[in-house]
Amino acid sequence: MMAVVYEFVWRMLHALLHLQRTILSWFRISIWNWNWRLWRRAVAAVLVPAVFGFQNHPHNNKKLVPGGGKKSCGRVRWKSDGKSLEKLPLHVGLLIAEEEPRYTDIANLVVWCMAVGISYVSVYDNQGIFRRNNSRLMDEILKQQQELLGLDSLKYSVEFLNKSNEKPEQQVLSCQATVKVLSPDDGKPSIVKAAQKFCQLVEHQQQRSTDLDVNMLDSLLRGTKGMPDPDLVMKFGTVDSTLGFLPWHIRLAEIISLPSHINIKYEDFFSALKCYAGCEQRLGK
Amino acid sequence: MSWIHKGELTFIERLSANILKAGPMPKHVAFIMDGNRRYARKLHVERQQGHTQGFDKLAETLRWCLNLEIREVTVYAFSIENFKRAKDEVDGLMELARQKFSRLLDEQEDLEKHGVCIRVLGDLTLLPLDIQKLIAQAVLATKNHNKCFLNVCFAYTSRHEITNAVKEAAWGVEQGLIKPSDVSEFLLDECLYTSNSPDPDLLIRTSGEVRLSDFLLWQTTYSCLVFQSILWPEYSFWNLCEAILQYQLNHHALQKARDLHAEARVLQQLEADRCCAAELLQQTGLGKPLDPQLRQEAVQKYTAEREGRVHSFLTALQEKRDRFFTDLNKGSIASAKA
Repeated sequence: MMAVVYEFVWRMLHALLHLQRTILSWFRISIWNWNWRLWRRAVAAVLVPAVFGFQNHPHNNKKLVPGGGKKSCGRVRWKSDGKSLEKLPLHVGLLIAEEEPRYTDIANLVVWCMAVGISYVSVYDNQGIFRRNNSRLMDEILKQQQELLGLDSLKYSVEFLNKSNEKPEQQVLSCQATVKVLSPDDGKPSIVKAAQKFCQLVEHQQQRSTDLDVNMLDSLLRGTKGMPDPDLVMKFGTVDSTLGFLPWHIRLAEIISLPSHINIKYEDFFSALKCYAGCEQRLGK
Repeated sequence: MSWIHKGELTFIERLSANILKAGPMPKHVAFIMDGNRRYARKLHVERQQGHTQGFDKLAETLRWCLNLEIREVTVYAFSIENFKRAKDEVDGLMELARQKFSRLLDEQEDLEKHGVCIRVLGDLTLLPLDIQKLIAQAVLATKNHNKCFLNVCFAYTSRHEITNAVKEAAWGVEQGLIKPSDVSEFLLDECLYTSNSPDPDLLIRTSGEVRLSDFLLWQTTYSCLVFQSILWPEYSFWNLCEAILQYQLNHHALQKARDLHAEARVLQQLEADRCCAAELLQQTGLGKPLDPQLRQEAVQKYTAEREGRVHSFLTALQEKRDRFFTDLNKGSIASAKA
């Protein structure tokens, strides 16, 4: 009898939480035009049940309330924004944990990364959709680069790193960013391949099993065109997991969550970078 | 038991626990117990006291987990990177470990009564020998208990663990037990320190940091990650409930992702077996038989042989691991008698 009551209360609780999530995302879509940041914060504060204390200190809040606000103005601003931050990540991983990716929005994110001064960007989803639609994504990125960076786009060149195409797409002029499209195959299966490679060396007596250390395995994994480890993972969507994204490489990456990549605004992207700049890494010390 | 607080939940806590249990509950929870030093600074006390309070909070949290029927808990107690800290802090942490493991050995009856199995995961050879021996005794004494499991990561980092797993596989190749092509995700799973545990369903990190810091990187690929800004020594039952609620909200999506990955893994293994079987047929001069029935039989035979090799290797690996602890234990019995 009590079991039925508990189950009922549980269902009510989850219905309430799902409703809250739906309302928040509806607000995000419908008020993106308005500059009512204060109003938005007030609404969010009312809807988030204080009794559960979900989000604690706002400045420590790594889950961002969705943004609205004025349209961004100018690539000049982007470059100076990047310089204004205490620290900028070298490599940003864009983890799209949503069912239906929107190529234009992702292309915007990649171009903003480049414009702000980030050298390496990787794009990932756990179903391998981007890997299969690699060229479509590349085209979209080049298109958005032209649109958003305009005349300056000559200054920024993008090198696409994929298994099938290792040649750079454009001439290197001054700023260069490297974009890589990743899938779950780049996670555990890559570690397995590196392990098999080492085992083959052992089988042919070119190495002993005891020769292996962390640095050796790291270089086996990185290969020749390796990117540095991601310092920042921007996760888009409501799923709270890395979903198989580069397990070996994200050991020290800051994981900052954003509600969605659909209609993502530059302000929200930049808030995530500001959040990253505020993180202090003690590296065990 | 000093490692698990006595005491029951209050009425409100029990009510909330029962409501939560109506939904899917995590069976294995991992904790990064971060924030001891910041807590000590906040209260203007010594760092060492922060760590001691941290241990007490662990004992309390284990009690709550048992009340919530969470039977397996893994905690990040000491990272290999932490050896970089000031000598007096490292010595203090080692002394805390010494005290707590010794105390554990005095409570063997209680541990048996509650069926608590303690495992210590990490590169134990980096620790002082006397602590290694205490750990070996605790692990061997509780080896066969199976009501609940506590995995303590001590002198641990995930990259070391994965590297060690690859080294074990390479050892298997050296011993002629397995071939390089037998190395798979499944095999590496079994070579990790956590081979006896399922992957964590939920990973909780306290103190507001939002990174994994080299903890269970392989095992948490499809776990629910919850980052909470509370400092570890201030952790409450309600913080734990909040984390479980997050897990429940993510449960369906994560299950779907996990199933997708498992399916892909099975297909990859099948494809690998097909390639290897075909290669074998080439080498034996039979070429690729056009009859699909024969091809199918060849693949099935290869799979069975591969699984047999892997099984022998894993048995040998388990013996090697057991020997490490029994040798340490013999050493401590001998020195006790002397």
